[in-house]
Amino acid sequence: MFEFLKLSRQILGMNSRNLEYIRPFNLARAKKIADNKLLSKKILKDNNLAVPQLLAKIRNYAELENFDWQTLPESFALKPNRGFGGEGILVVYGKKKNQTDVWIKADRSLVSIEDLKAHIRNILDGSFSLSGTPDIAFFEERLQLLKLFKPYCYKGIPDIRVIVFNKVPLMAMLRLPTKNSSGKANLQQGAIGVGIDMATGTTTTAVSGKNKFIEYAPDTRLLLSGIRIPYWNDILKLAVRAQELSGLGFLGADIAIDKIKGPTIIELNARPGLSIQIANLSGLKERLKKAAGIKIKTVEKGVRVGKDLFGGEIEEELEGISGRRVIGTVEKVKLIGKDGKEIEVEAKIDTGAGFSSIDTELAKQLGFENTVLEYENLNISYEQIKNLTPEQRKEIFKNIPDLADTAIIHSSHGTTYRPMVNINIIMDNIEFLAKVSIIDRSNLKMPIIIGKKNLGKFLIDVNK
Amino acid sequence: MNVSPIINFFINQGVPFTTVILILMLPIIATFIAFLRQVVGIKAFGIYAPLIVTFAFLATNGLKYGIAIFVTVIFTGMLMRFVLKPFRLLYLPRVAIMLTIVAFLILGILVIGGEFKRTGLAAVSIFPILIMITIVEKFIAVQIEKGDKAAIFLAIETLIISILGFFIASSKILIHFLALYPWVVILTIPINILLGKWTGLRVSEYFRFRKIMKHL
Repeated sequence: MFEFLKLSRQILGMNSRNLEYIRPFNLARAKKIADNKLLSKKILKDNNLAVPQLLAKIRNYAELENFDWQTLPESFALKPNRGFGGEGILVVYGKKKNQTDVWIKADRSLVSIEDLKAHIRNILDGSFSLSGTPDIAFFEERLQLLKLFKPYCYKGIPDIRVIVFNKVPLMAMLRLPTKNSSGKANLQQGAIGVGIDMATGTTTTAVSGKNKFIEYAPDTRLLLSGIRIPYWNDILKLAVRAQELSGLGFLGADIAIDKIKGPTIIELNARPGLSIQIANLSGLKERLKKAAGIKIKTVEKGVRVGKDLFGGEIEEELEGISGRRVIGTVEKVKLIGKDGKEIEVEAKIDTGAGFSSIDTELAKQLGFENTVLEYENLNISYEQIKNLTPEQRKEIFKNIPDLADTAIIHSSHGTTYRPMVNINIIMDNIEFLAKVSIIDRSNLKMPIIIGKKNLGKFLIDVNK
Repeated sequence: MNVSPIINFFINQGVPFTTVILILMLPIIATFIAFLRQVVGIKAFGIYAPLIVTFAFLATNGLKYGIAIFVTVIFTGMLMRFVLKPFRLLYLPRVAIMLTIVAFLILGILVIGGEFKRTGLAAVSIFPILIMITIVEKFIAVQIEKGDKAAIFLAIETLIISILGFFIASSKILIHFLALYPWVVILTIPINILLGKWTGLRVSEYFRFRKIMKHL
């Protein structure tokens, strides 16, 4: 019981957030900046931080009537200046063919100028603003989705929420829009939150909605853990810089990664939510206390302290000393086969095997269909071949396309003779060429094992 | 009944006893609601709505009529949102239409109550009914801000708090106690100062973050 109470003190609750962190550290002036998207955009932009480009703003009905709709580009986002929780945002992806005044939304529904006007009137009347007071509507450029995130998202664009306190990034979460959240990266509306290891920027555990832990992206077999977020260092730096500039002592910075611009700040939050703790399975209060006493002068120092204090430490050190990556016994790998065909699967790391081997079906999917079929047509057993010289064997198989080699494999099931092909494997961000044998693994859990020959660049941690 | 001299003084000045007690109950119910929010974590529609609904319950003849009216109001608010959605109306006119519909419905209920000889319903004074109708605006505001689910959830929380508040405020023991020691009410101020400085986790947060605890 006492243990329980002690543990609970590591978690940041609503009372404590409001009284001990927002009240003293987020002063009215700073909150004003965060709650005013146009103002925060201007301040960040003036200091050379990346923000989505402002296209136009509409302050009142008169401006709405006189607005020249042809100045709008093919795709844009329409937002209320004081909106909250992602409400009232309208995004279009392109214009309808041969029409200059009809745009298309992500769900393929059409948006006419009349629709835009109605939406803007709602914004101006304050339907989406915090206190229902009149608001300003603005158009900004639409950020473009990074290819890496494409399979994980339903429409919309994911963003990374970073909590910064005392110039130290404390905790981060990747927010993926889903069908339930209708393409919005907001947890309250049903988006997925994925915890991130502060040191490496690799995702850890994922939460859907309020309290449901999930392993895979909805309707796919894509693991949500182990995604390595690109530009990780830049993202943390951007978040810390945003804190310096906004004056918010306790800040939740929302950063998206644009295909061209890279990390871009989309919003500053003076009252960040608490669910980030669930996605990271870790308490914020403990981290706030740790970060409170440190004097930090530069942005780089803040980022370093955040990584060192709150990241998975040992692993990184080990990787630094040995120059090799630490992997677990099961790893997510990307296979690149013939003609650049890419498939992502889970692989078993097997130090008992010499060669790596992949399942016949998988080999076919990677473009080695003919190799497999022609090899099977020859129908050669181990018995027939074991007394031949290597040259004689080569002669038999010379007509099979894309065959890299053949191999005798002794395993617990007996000895087999297998065809081998060359594929590229990307594991833990390292790409290597591997000669893999092809065998029917359909009754086994993983379609691929990585053997000793290809594990030279890695260390294996069985607890991972 | 034994009453304290100060209450006696009020009564002699012409303030009805029930009014004095109701006014003294106000800080106690308010403190109760603050406690539920800060320590237990029941949100409801802020402090004003459950407080005013509690007193509306006290003023309607019996709890059941109060609940009937409250549920009607919320139910209509929910229904009308779907009906009015395609019209894309601005906020205030939309609320005005909802209030109109709710008013008609309440009138209908009163008539039906009269038909079934439920005269208690028709005898409910107009002010508690008006109070309940205004709850609809709060409900719509939350609907827009946090979505339908959250709004219904908060409405149910409001109803529960108001019912609890009703039982506290109509408890005979508490009424007698307040009549004897009205100064006790001042104690709510230090209690609220403590609540206002309370930084611990709420009971609901122990539940919300239970999975983290297992991992720490």
